[in-house]
Amino acid sequence: MSRVFVTLIRSFPTAFRERFGDEMLEQIEHDHQRAQRRGALASLAFSLATIADLARTSVAERIRPTWTQSQHRDTRMSTMTEWARDLRQAARSLKRTPGFAIVAVGTLGLAIGVNAGMFSVVDTVLLKPLPFANVDRLVNISATAPGSGFPDEFGVAAEFFVQYKEQSKLLEDVSVYNSFTSTLRVGDRVERVRMSAPTNSLYSTLGAKPILGRLPVASDEDHAVVISYKLWQQWFARDPNVVGKVYNVASANRTIIGVMGPEFQMPLDGTLLWMSNEIKPQGISPGRFGANLVGRVKPGVTNEQLATELTALSKKLPDRFGGSANYRKLIAQHHAVVRSLTDQVVGSVKAPLGVLLAAVGVVLLIACANVANLFMVRGEARQRDLAVRLAIGAARGQLIQSQMAEAVVVAGGAGALAMIFATLTLPVFLRFAPRNVPRIADTSMNATTLLFTLAAAILSALICGLLPAIRASRPDLNRLRDGGRGATRTRNFARDGLVVGQTALALVLLIGSALLVRSFWSLRHVNPGYSTENLFTFQIAPEGPALRNGLDYARFDLAFLEKLAAIPSVESVGVVENIPLNEGTAANSFRTEDAPKEADGGKRLNYTYTAGNYFKTMSIALLRGRAFTSDDHLNAQQNVILSRNAADLMWPGKDPIGRRIQRAGDSLWFTVVGVVDDVMQDDFRHKPNPLVYFPLVGPTPSSWVIDSPAYVIRTRRAESIAPEVRALVRQVAPSAPMYRVFTMAGLAKDSMVQLSFTMLTLGIVSALALVLGAVGLYGVLSYIVAMRTREIGVRMALGAEASAVRRMVVAQGARVVAIGIVIGVLGALGSTKALSSLLYDVQAADATTFAGMSMSMVLIGFIASYLPARRASKVDPVESLRGD
Amino acid sequence: MSQTDGTGMSTFEYHVLLALATGPLHGYAIKDAVTDESNGTLTPRAGSMYRVIARLMTSGLVIETKGSDDPHPGLARKYYALTARGRTALAAEARRQKNAAAVAERRLGIARGRS
Repeated sequence: MSRVFVTLIRSFPTAFRERFGDEMLEQIEHDHQRAQRRGALASLAFSLATIADLARTSVAERIRPTWTQSQHRDTRMSTMTEWARDLRQAARSLKRTPGFAIVAVGTLGLAIGVNAGMFSVVDTVLLKPLPFANVDRLVNISATAPGSGFPDEFGVAAEFFVQYKEQSKLLEDVSVYNSFTSTLRVGDRVERVRMSAPTNSLYSTLGAKPILGRLPVASDEDHAVVISYKLWQQWFARDPNVVGKVYNVASANRTIIGVMGPEFQMPLDGTLLWMSNEIKPQGISPGRFGANLVGRVKPGVTNEQLATELTALSKKLPDRFGGSANYRKLIAQHHAVVRSLTDQVVGSVKAPLGVLLAAVGVVLLIACANVANLFMVRGEARQRDLAVRLAIGAARGQLIQSQMAEAVVVAGGAGALAMIFATLTLPVFLRFAPRNVPRIADTSMNATTLLFTLAAAILSALICGLLPAIRASRPDLNRLRDGGRGATRTRNFARDGLVVGQTALALVLLIGSALLVRSFWSLRHVNPGYSTENLFTFQIAPEGPALRNGLDYARFDLAFLEKLAAIPSVESVGVVENIPLNEGTAANSFRTEDAPKEADGGKRLNYTYTAGNYFKTMSIALLRGRAFTSDDHLNAQQNVILSRNAADLMWPGKDPIGRRIQRAGDSLWFTVVGVVDDVMQDDFRHKPNPLVYFPLVGPTPSSWVIDSPAYVIRTRRAESIAPEVRALVRQVAPSAPMYRVFTMAGLAKDSMVQLSFTMLTLGIVSALALVLGAVGLYGVLSYIVAMRTREIGVRMALGAEASAVRRMVVAQGARVVAIGIVIGVLGALGSTKALSSLLYDVQAADATTFAGMSMSMVLIGFIASYLPARRASKVDPVESLRGD
Repeated sequence: MSQTDGTGMSTFEYHVLLALATGPLHGYAIKDAVTDESNGTLTPRAGSMYRVIARLMTSGLVIETKGSDDPHPGLARKYYALTARGRTALAAEARRQKNAAAVAERRLGIARGRS
């Protein structure tokens, strides 16, 4: 009986049957079973009624259809359904050629993926606004004084802040901020943490409010502390009762008065708490430069206007605050430097990140060119088919659309692959990223990245699909006549153009990364003046009733050095106030005895303090005289040691030993007892600063106090000695936190990380570009050879040598590559300037690099051409002609 | 499309919409509901019923939807649900029937006892 039902259901129109047939049959069978249970008669009655119903409705449906496939006939829907149909068809046709689909989706997916990852980094670090209200009105204010001997740019001094705050008409608010490492004690927990003592105006300047408690006011003096959300979370388990409690912060008892929100950070270096601080105009001794200033300008004020106003205001400083003749001279030369706070924070990473983003963009272009080429070859193979469709009246728009559909499907798949790829690789990428890039740790894949990926996919679909689709929509109708065998099409500008573009872009990236590799190589071989191998360094901050002045600390240090030297495998130990590659040195004006006392007499030298076998431990060469002895430290000998460039600066061409210098502000003279080699203090890139080494103790026990210097240990076990040192620290200074624990090798590596990271990323990216470019060239030439098989066959039948055929094909590739190289070199000349801030010891337009990389490109072009050429030369003339 | 404005709706269509007013149902459940709620006056046969459903879908009163994931034997069931337009049309039809009933009651004197 059910056969009858099935037959009747089949008599419905196809569209109706396809949609409802299954459900109808299911219902009928279900009801039929129910009827059967009630007896044979019921079953028969049911069957007859159903047959009658089906017979009637199947006819009715044919006469007055209730269901047709294209029910919605308005044009928008029709475009949508046409697209849907084209996309389905495209997906099916791609499924039939999995090789093509995998290569196209894989290439694009990889390229979009690296773009998505890089974009999310750039978005987080550069594009996301700093977490302050109206951040576009926040500015960083510093100073410059051309011709003064001061650095190109330097921080202002307290009197500038006072003057600006009181008298500027363009600033709404301004504040000084800083950050330093000091000791925080909460119960048993004692750590050195990053803290700041900004002026109380910081919060109003930035427009920040606490989530708990209040902000500091003048009456708090320096006894109040506002803590960060992170500190509140990690040290106090978000206890709301923390407000009002008193803890030991930076060697004094201070009260926590407020907790800031999680987004509040200033400076952006992991500062965990902010002490209250008020700068009063009274009692400022002018000229103590080095303060960071952040200001909020009134709406509509430009940086230039503000700089002009502040420069004018600063000229009145000496009249108000006094100061030396040198200070007056400096103020005369002073100009305010104003830039947006955002530029100040992320300005230094703009160039490298921009370069990397541009590089991955180029890779996407190359990948698109490759896939476009693949599509063109695919379209070529379909020319006859398309010609037929055009001949029987298909509109060109329809042909373009159906060709585009494949590109859209490929790009869609690539976009999905890209998201997966980026999500998987981003954490790896971030692990290797330099830590000093602000906010980079916050990077994650988010909605913005998704949007970007979508946009990149759509763009790729357009780039990859449009050109081939337009070409394919103009099929040569003659194809229909000659049986579709295809004439030999020797020139194909679109395809050659794509290969030229790929070659050029790959060469630009190749030259860029070669320049970085050369810089890295040069930096690796720079002699910084000290060794970085087998060295372990750390700092401690001892405290206690026995440590009252510089002499106490020096005694402690000298005794501690002896204990360190007794650890097995330790060859020598030393101590220094500022360890190279980790901390900068202070600078001041020094004069010789020949120089006049006041104005013009001084030269700017950096200075630090050292003891123990520091020079020997660091392998800093002692050039003349001697190193310090314990006597220098303990008995106020007033001796100093100079770096070679400091000695040359003070007494050019003369023996400095026994001569004397005086630091500005000191009345005492120091005698030079030794000269050591120059050291690169900050990194391997900048010239060594002229440096003065003082002993640990000044002329009086309280002239200066070196309370937390860096200890350096030379040992073969630099990587593993930390636990033994820690044990010793616990023994001699149980309450002192140990921090800034490094190996010098690690510091050296960190100092190169920005360059090495950029170099590595650009290297990988350009390798990717190179491979894609080579594959593109190979693909095009292979295709041309395949198309010209018949012609080559004829040539060989007529007696052409295999070598001549090879030459012909290689020459064709060489032409394309040569044009690509010329364009690439021009492009590189225009773009490697963007790298110049990263380059070291090599010009942005270095001829050797340009020539070398161009030669590599020629070689790769040759290999990519030779393989198809060899295949061409093996064409069997008989086989190739048999096709006719 | 006279069926969609609520005036020319057939009893069968009305009852299908009424059944779906409780929530999405699959075809067989619609059939059962229609049978029950029409007090047996309608016995929907497969061909008739799916033509009604098709017409309601074509005129946008009913759409196919995802149903519950309850396991069930046989084919994957398709669920049907009222659209907003379907709900409006059902309400209009109910109002029309109520008015028609009121008119009939007045004319036949059924409600006379009250006044």
